[in-house]
Amino acid sequence: MLTAVISLLFWLVVIPFCIGLIPVNFILPGRRTPGFLFLAGYFCMWALFALAAIPAVLWVEYDNFKAASAVFTVLSILCAILGIFLLYRNRASGGESLLGVRFKNDTGVARKTGLKGLLKSMLRADRIEWLLFFLLLGFQLYKAAAFASFDGDDAYYVVESLLAQEADTMYRILPYTGGSTGLDVRHVLAVFPMWVAFVSVKAGIHATIVSHVVMPFVLIPLPYLLFYEMGKLLFDPKKTGESKNNAVSGNLLHRENLPVFMIIMAMFQIFGNVSIYTNETFFLTRTWQGKAVTGSLVIPAVLWLFLLLCGEREQEKRTDVGLWLVFVCVNMTAGICSSIAVFLVSILTALTAFVLMITKRDIRLLLRFGAACIPNVIYMGIYVVMGYSYLLQ
Amino acid sequence: MWGIFLESVVIFKNYMGYHENHFLAGIYLFVLLYLWLTEKDRTRRAVFVYAPTLLLLAFFCPLFRKVFVRLLEDSETYYRLLWLLQMSIVSAYGLIKLMGKHKRIGLAVVCLMIAACGDYVYDSQHISRAENAYHLPQEAIDIVDMIEPEEGRITVLVPADLIYYVRQYSTDIELPYGREMLIARWDYYHAMYEAMEKAEVIDTPAFVELTRTYPCAYVVLKEDREISEPLTEYGFSVYGQVGDFVIYQDMTL
Repeated sequence: MLTAVISLLFWLVVIPFCIGLIPVNFILPGRRTPGFLFLAGYFCMWALFALAAIPAVLWVEYDNFKAASAVFTVLSILCAILGIFLLYRNRASGGESLLGVRFKNDTGVARKTGLKGLLKSMLRADRIEWLLFFLLLGFQLYKAAAFASFDGDDAYYVVESLLAQEADTMYRILPYTGGSTGLDVRHVLAVFPMWVAFVSVKAGIHATIVSHVVMPFVLIPLPYLLFYEMGKLLFDPKKTGESKNNAVSGNLLHRENLPVFMIIMAMFQIFGNVSIYTNETFFLTRTWQGKAVTGSLVIPAVLWLFLLLCGEREQEKRTDVGLWLVFVCVNMTAGICSSIAVFLVSILTALTAFVLMITKRDIRLLLRFGAACIPNVIYMGIYVVMGYSYLLQ
Repeated sequence: MWGIFLESVVIFKNYMGYHENHFLAGIYLFVLLYLWLTEKDRTRRAVFVYAPTLLLLAFFCPLFRKVFVRLLEDSETYYRLLWLLQMSIVSAYGLIKLMGKHKRIGLAVVCLMIAACGDYVYDSQHISRAENAYHLPQEAIDIVDMIEPEEGRITVLVPADLIYYVRQYSTDIELPYGREMLIARWDYYHAMYEAMEKAEVIDTPAFVELTRTYPCAYVVLKEDREISEPLTEYGFSVYGQVGDFVIYQDMTL
């Protein structure tokens, strides 16, 4: 049991955290926060998993899960080591910390944005709102652990994870019956269940338990972390029209809005079950499935990165390479979640980049976001070639 | 084209749950309009106002729907385009802007509004108290524990109630047919499924002949399942019972 917990902590907390240090190293110090670090780490880790698993699915016939797991283990540990190396190099050279940083806000008062700063700011004011939010979050986690949510698609996705765990095989066995099968283009590129299987194997826990009980403890808080980061951007006093002279009240506005935003988001998730189709319903009833991750994490992450990449660039006149790296990784994460997610994210990126190009009168925006979608183009190319290859025969 | 447009309207209404008197979409559309009128920041305007409006127009555009469906060869997932609107994020942002300085009272009103216009997810008929760590029905687990071989795999015929769960617990149990037969709109035909589930009364001789073509080492039937002659007269023996389910073992294998 203890080994399983340590293994889960290692693969679900330590590895993404360390990998996240890489993109964080390449962003502006003011944007470095534990939340960004953790989210970036997850997206980069999933992108690495796509690089390890998709070629194995396509080109390795026997024990392809074993091959993908070995490659992913090596890649992720190497990236984690690189992240730690960057952290120490940064510290040794006296640069801004990758974990949290002191900088002056508009009032000239030093503010800490690290984990301690985050907790302090939560405790300082609006305790009731934050308490209410954490109660709502805790309630969702309790429901996820203590209640079973039936979904027919589990007979496919969860069984695929279990097959990978028990038979070391990805997508070569029919999950519904157990017979052998060829590659089904619609599902084989979406390797999210294989990542669940990877975690299950490393922790030595049955993949069904990992899907239904462990995954909600990762995949429910993670979107809320994203909403928190998004809320910080949206209610930043510098961007809410507050003048510098009014920065103190602006800061108050910021602090008050953030927990309110989080509570409203939590309420929307809990009461968003207006039909079985909404992303809110998927979020809380099929949390462990790739398509739920698409709606609750990947698509919001694209919006978050649009706000980050286009929000303050005009003032700073500096490109954040780390943010673009995360954007590419979010696109790759869409690919492992579901095939349709790649199309959705591409549509969203194209439309939003197009309107941004017009509103900001900057064609480079369209070109940059287009370049960041190259992984999607490759993915769609593989999808089309696989789906229509019979026409060439 | 008009027909395709109307299909999109139906998909939109079903997604938003209008037919069940849910109106969260009303809050979203109101906020979208509010942001059209008040949002000054160019980036936010592009991300939260222009892009969603264009998306909505694209969603209802018949030509767009035709291309989308043709490309993905799937019309059932068209509704997921609406996920791109991220209604909750846009609504939360707009509502907080609208609250101004009246945060606490505003929050209370908004929470009440969401609860009134939405639907509580944990009321769903698909959510029930977990019986075990697997979040699977305990009966399915008990049955598999009884029949699972120490080595290799076996084929087992189970009733529709168990089809979703058996292989989530153990992939050493193979099934003659799976969940694909339970989705009515997929409209597949499977002789074994017809004999097991569709027949009002199971025709034992034909049924047994079919089970032996796989061959099924065990057959699980509900206690009250009507059957023309007992399976025990055709080389099966009662192996055990779990709840309402009787497990028969084929002794000829």
